[in-house]
Amino acid sequence: MNCQTAERPIEILLVEDNPGDVRLIVEALSDGNVDNKLHIAKDGMEATAFLNREGKYADKLHPDLILLDLNLPKKNGPEVLAEIKEDHALKHIPVVILTSSQEGDDIVKTYNLHANCYVTKPIDLEQFIRVVKSIRDFWLTIVKLPAEER
Amino acid sequence: MIDEMTGELSKIPQQAAEVELLDLELKQPKELFRILFYSSPIGVYIVQGGRFKIVNHKLADILRYSEEELVGMPSLSLVHPEDRNAVKECAVKMLNGERSSEYEFRIVTKRAEIKWVMETVAPILYQQRRATLGNLIDVTKRKQAEERLNQIANEMQRSNTELEQFAYVISHDLQEPLRMVSSYTQLLAKRYQSKLDTDADEFISYAVDGAKRMQTLLYDLLEYSRVGTRGKPFRLVECKDIIEQALANLKVAIEESGAVVNYDNLLAIMGDEGQLVRLFQNLIGNAIKFRGQETPQVHISARRRHNVLIFSVTDNGIGIDPQHSQSIFEIFRRLHTKEEYPGTGMGLAICKKIVERHGGRIWVQSQPGEGSTFYFTIQVAGGESA
Repeated sequence: MNCQTAERPIEILLVEDNPGDVRLIVEALSDGNVDNKLHIAKDGMEATAFLNREGKYADKLHPDLILLDLNLPKKNGPEVLAEIKEDHALKHIPVVILTSSQEGDDIVKTYNLHANCYVTKPIDLEQFIRVVKSIRDFWLTIVKLPAEER
Repeated sequence: MIDEMTGELSKIPQQAAEVELLDLELKQPKELFRILFYSSPIGVYIVQGGRFKIVNHKLADILRYSEEELVGMPSLSLVHPEDRNAVKECAVKMLNGERSSEYEFRIVTKRAEIKWVMETVAPILYQQRRATLGNLIDVTKRKQAEERLNQIANEMQRSNTELEQFAYVISHDLQEPLRMVSSYTQLLAKRYQSKLDTDADEFISYAVDGAKRMQTLLYDLLEYSRVGTRGKPFRLVECKDIIEQALANLKVAIEESGAVVNYDNLLAIMGDEGQLVRLFQNLIGNAIKFRGQETPQVHISARRRHNVLIFSVTDNGIGIDPQHSQSIFEIFRRLHTKEEYPGTGMGLAICKKIVERHGGRIWVQSQPGEGSTFYFTIQVAGGESA
């Protein structure tokens, strides 16, 4: 179990521009007994504003897990990823790339930018839900993450 | 169209001494030369001191000048300005005996037309002085035909590449919106099945089924277009490894059907490993899928003819009416309803594309009820023309 789970819900930041996918992920995450709080950023700019606690995000906590799409408006996924992994305050947060791209180049590029794992969105609904749940379960209940000073 | 007195040729005399000259005036009958010269369908000329000394009728005809106009004219002036240096170089080499093949260049006629000609030159003595005997034919029509062919070939290549790219983009980009349609119809089915009326259940099931089929079609179309656009470079591969991989991928189908697949000892081939696995997998998979009453028996062998291996995949399945033996390789071609045999009709089209990318061809021999043999050819690794 992650150190913080006893005191507060798990914070997940989902960076995804397609409302259809957002809803599917919400459906998948609402199922089960992991107490999580999902924040949604619709583009790369919103994601970095959230992570840097800019403006309306000033009172937000750093997320425990980031789900990041690659094709995003304004600032794309790899740019957001690079910023996170270069920022001392953020780079420990696991970033899961969740994308429809199956291109070998994208996979290599994101791992080189220190993505924690790369997952292709399954086409089938049941599989999609299963994959999202297993991402959540793996990163939030199986692995040990550093406890963050807040 | 140059002789020893022009350009770089002034340096030649010492070397030219070694070249055997054909002394027309002393050693050949004048009359024979005269007849050949004037009646030849080839443009013939003698150039001395850089200028035409004698020209035949055909040369005048090609150049659109009269014979009288040509005599005394600097020969190089008729060569297209862009080709002059190359012509000089070729002529010098040929006169020196360093080149034996004819060369081609453009000339500009009196009417300012540009023609392609092919020429050979030989050093001779004319009136006791060194000169050049030239033979020249008009190859404009052939050149134009070649250029046209090249253009068409390039155009075909371009439009093929574009088409492949198009198919790739279409099948790739359509997946995203389709995933939405399919996910949400599935979600509807999951959550509202039997909560609405029976009509709604039926409608939802058709929508779910349609979206699923379209996904499979797009997936196969994407794979088809990838054969051309995402192929890997060829390397040496052992057929045994390829077939074993294909069989591993077909494990479930083989176990369920009890199929017996065996293969001969096969040579190594040059190819794209992933694509060759897919090729065998599709052919063996079909042999199992289109089985008859008996347990499927599949045999793979190959025989060598020169540098080519002819592979055969033989089964004891339901067979194919010979009238369909061509069309089964077309995309989306199916001979059965999806209730009889599921599938998108892309399997053999993908096989054909893979074989063609490897420079081979694929065909089938079969009769209904008597099994099928699919043949395809692949270059032998290390074959002389491989």
